[in-house]
Amino acid sequence: MLTERVINWLDERIDLTGIRHFIAEKTVPVHAHKVWYYMGGMTLFLLIVQVVTGILLLLYYRPSAEEAYESVQFIVSQVQFGWLIRNVHSWSANLLILVAFVHMFSTFFMRAYRKPREITWISGVLLLFLMMTFGFSGYLLPWNELAFFATKVGTGIAGAVPFVGDFLVRFLRGGDDVTGATLTRFYGLHVAVLPMVMTGLLMIHLLLVQRQGMSVPLGVERAVRNGQPLKQMPFFPNYVLRDVLAWYVGLALLAALALFYPWELGTKADAFAPVPAGIRPEWYFLAMFQALKLLPAHILGFEGEMLGVLGFSAAAGLLLFVPFLDRRASEGKANRLLTVAGVLAVVYLVVFTIYGYVAA
Amino acid sequence: MATSATGHLPPSPMKRRTFLDRLLGLGLVSTTLAVVYPLWRYLNPPASGEAATTSAVAGRVTDLAPNSGQIFKFGNRPALVLRTPDGEFRAFNAVCTHLDCTVQYKADTSQIWCACHNGIYDLGGNVVSGPPPRPLEPYHVNLRGEPGQEEIVVTRA
Amino acid sequence: MPRVEFRKRARVTVLALGIWLVAYGPARAGQAPGSQPAVGCITCHEGLADARLSAPAVDEPGDVHGARGFTCLVCHGGDGTSQDQARAHDRARGFRGKPAAAAVTEVCARCHSDAEFMRRYAPRQRVDQASEYATSVHGQQLARGDTKVATCVSCHGAHGIRMVSDAKSPVFPLNVSATCSRCHADAAHMAGYVLPDGSPLPTDQHELYERSVHYAALTKANDLSAPTCNDCHGNHGAAPPGVGAVVNVCGTCHAVFSSKFALSTHSQIFDRGCVECHSNHEVLQPSDAMLGTDEPALCITCHGEGDNGYEAARTMRSDIDRLKEAIDASVALVGRAANAGMEMSDEELSLREARNHLTLARTEVHTFDLPSVQKVIQEGFDVTASVDQAGQAALDELSFRRTGLAVSLGAILLVVVALALKIREVDRTYGVRS
Repeated sequence: MLTERVINWLDERIDLTGIRHFIAEKTVPVHAHKVWYYMGGMTLFLLIVQVVTGILLLLYYRPSAEEAYESVQFIVSQVQFGWLIRNVHSWSANLLILVAFVHMFSTFFMRAYRKPREITWISGVLLLFLMMTFGFSGYLLPWNELAFFATKVGTGIAGAVPFVGDFLVRFLRGGDDVTGATLTRFYGLHVAVLPMVMTGLLMIHLLLVQRQGMSVPLGVERAVRNGQPLKQMPFFPNYVLRDVLAWYVGLALLAALALFYPWELGTKADAFAPVPAGIRPEWYFLAMFQALKLLPAHILGFEGEMLGVLGFSAAAGLLLFVPFLDRRASEGKANRLLTVAGVLAVVYLVVFTIYGYVAA
Repeated sequence: MATSATGHLPPSPMKRRTFLDRLLGLGLVSTTLAVVYPLWRYLNPPASGEAATTSAVAGRVTDLAPNSGQIFKFGNRPALVLRTPDGEFRAFNAVCTHLDCTVQYKADTSQIWCACHNGIYDLGGNVVSGPPPRPLEPYHVNLRGEPGQEEIVVTRA
Repeated sequence: MPRVEFRKRARVTVLALGIWLVAYGPARAGQAPGSQPAVGCITCHEGLADARLSAPAVDEPGDVHGARGFTCLVCHGGDGTSQDQARAHDRARGFRGKPAAAAVTEVCARCHSDAEFMRRYAPRQRVDQASEYATSVHGQQLARGDTKVATCVSCHGAHGIRMVSDAKSPVFPLNVSATCSRCHADAAHMAGYVLPDGSPLPTDQHELYERSVHYAALTKANDLSAPTCNDCHGNHGAAPPGVGAVVNVCGTCHAVFSSKFALSTHSQIFDRGCVECHSNHEVLQPSDAMLGTDEPALCITCHGEGDNGYEAARTMRSDIDRLKEAIDASVALVGRAANAGMEMSDEELSLREARNHLTLARTEVHTFDLPSVQKVIQEGFDVTASVDQAGQAALDELSFRRTGLAVSLGAILLVVVALALKIREVDRTYGVRS
């Protein structure tokens, strides 16, 4: 077959033995919780979709305040299948963040971050934050009213950080207010800076997963230690085919969403128009936003918003360094406190996101 | 290999696998095409060229005799391109500044007129009489192309 | 001093004075009358305690007379060089004091009605204000001895008079209504004046005017061409427009409405023309609710059920409402298609035209002629019909896309099924191992 001939041709020039061996020997554990293994691959698939559709979009998009909105309108109405590309990009972005959260929480509850996978966890959490930054910067690019004001509010919250707050706001906005300068800056972030950082982190993350193989839940690890054999499935072709199946389902879902629930264009941003009622960020920031809104203006003499921002930063820090906080996991024991904390976090996120929607 | 009562061999497992493989191959190829086709069409620039917000072609010089005008689409607004009795080309935003009706060129008085409430503008877009509070927004006009057959290109000031 | 000596000196003084006056008199070309400095007047008056006497001595930056060298002496006469009150205020030296109300016009008109004189300072300015004033209600009342009415100084001020185009002038367009209201909104001042029919002159005009679209255009939309008191009542010849003249007055700006109205049956019937429906001072934003046969429509004030007018009003209103609904439906249709990714800017442009027809129909209502209104409405419906057609075509294209998607999904389903089968087979062949 053609593929075999190509592989042989390459093998004669760059020794593919290592890769061939790796593919032939790599296995994936089989147990009750193996469904969560697909979350990482799904995230990767959606990321690839984002990169491809993103590159296609930037062939027609114009990152200036005068032309951005019109260029998106042009893509959606004039460019052939532009509506498909743009809507897939918008939907895939949201699904990507959702699946990334699921992937993060599933690895958390299964304690996959324990030794030797601490770096995988840290790179993963950083990737999650990066995805959310991608979402925040990309949201502004169509330069519509909702995005403009959501960005104004969002970048304004950065001002609550003590000492460097004002600098942060100016740095993010490219000035004192959200203007065309902000748009250009966010565009540069979205298509150049963030992808570069993401590539690095992703390489580390994937390489480590390949080198270290899949982690198993603590219960399964204990069973293995007690002598029970662990079933394994060959990575290629068994696991790969399943992964590809999931990806195809994802593709079908994206296409259907793009057609039946197209993303709105909105009205062009006008800096002097009054803030529309019920302005709020995208759903993945909503829980945080809603919590900040509920905080009283002053708590014990400190600004409520500042304490809120610091609180969330502290939570992010805890999340990042959880492998070093959970000593028991490396010993094979479940840390009840962390499980409870994780469950509470999920509950908080779900409840406050819904609350944020309902409150508007 | 066991034979059935009729003496036929059961279908060889090899054949079944190949059929499934063929089916899979067909499916993969067709879905790949279904993805590549829109991408290919997307990469081909559409007829309108670019997001027309700041410039539009209003027709050819041969379409407009002196002392005449016509409405054309500029972005999402109507615009008026006119030729003065002296032959000069001018263009304005055709949205009347009073209540947004579309203005027109009136050849008998060589003025721009709004039929809704009789607003009258001169050939510079300035209000002569009637209710409009502000003048019409002027646009730049350039001619481009073969002499005698140029396109009238209108751009935002 | 001997009498002869005195008389000789007096004659010489008078002669000198006469020559001096002539030398500096208004006949001297190119020089403002009284251009002898009024230093004496200013030095005394600016030190006086009474503000009414000291204020005029202050040099106002926008003072159009002061800037051109016209001093106190031009209107008040007297000797401006002297600081001795008796000498400065000497009637023999031409001192006229504060002109009485009846004499004010004459004082101002001395220059302002002199075309040759005014040409030297403001060639474009009119010189008929005084004669206009004589025709006004104010002028006529003044002639009858009523000194409560406005004279030149009531509106323009007496000292520190600014140009009309100066934003601080009491007769700058934005300030006119407040200036007129100083008297006309003061019930105590206006007591005793009556309308032609005998009822007391109202004092709520400004209050009503403040609610009008004209006031809003002037103060909020910065449209200085919007009418204020003088635009309808006249400036110097101020008087209410007479019966029959109202249509012409409103028609100076609202020309189309007045010409259509003039052709209608209502122009023969309405005493007060436009005012019957639109009011004179409280001219509110008109709405479709004013037309028709349901409250708060105005047609039913006169028309009752069964008469032609009633039927016409009802039909006109329902036709306009139907066109509005058709436009809204078209907008929704186009919006749906546009949101789904279709190019609808041509249709959006056409919908502008449809809205234009709605505006034109509302204008046509002033003919009070049903067929002509219906003609305009029909043109509007033609536009919405073609837009609906295009919108429907766009939605059909959308269905076509959905079919395309269904086909792709079919292909994907094929792959998914094949993959599932393949996985089963592969699991069997290679199997899971420990």
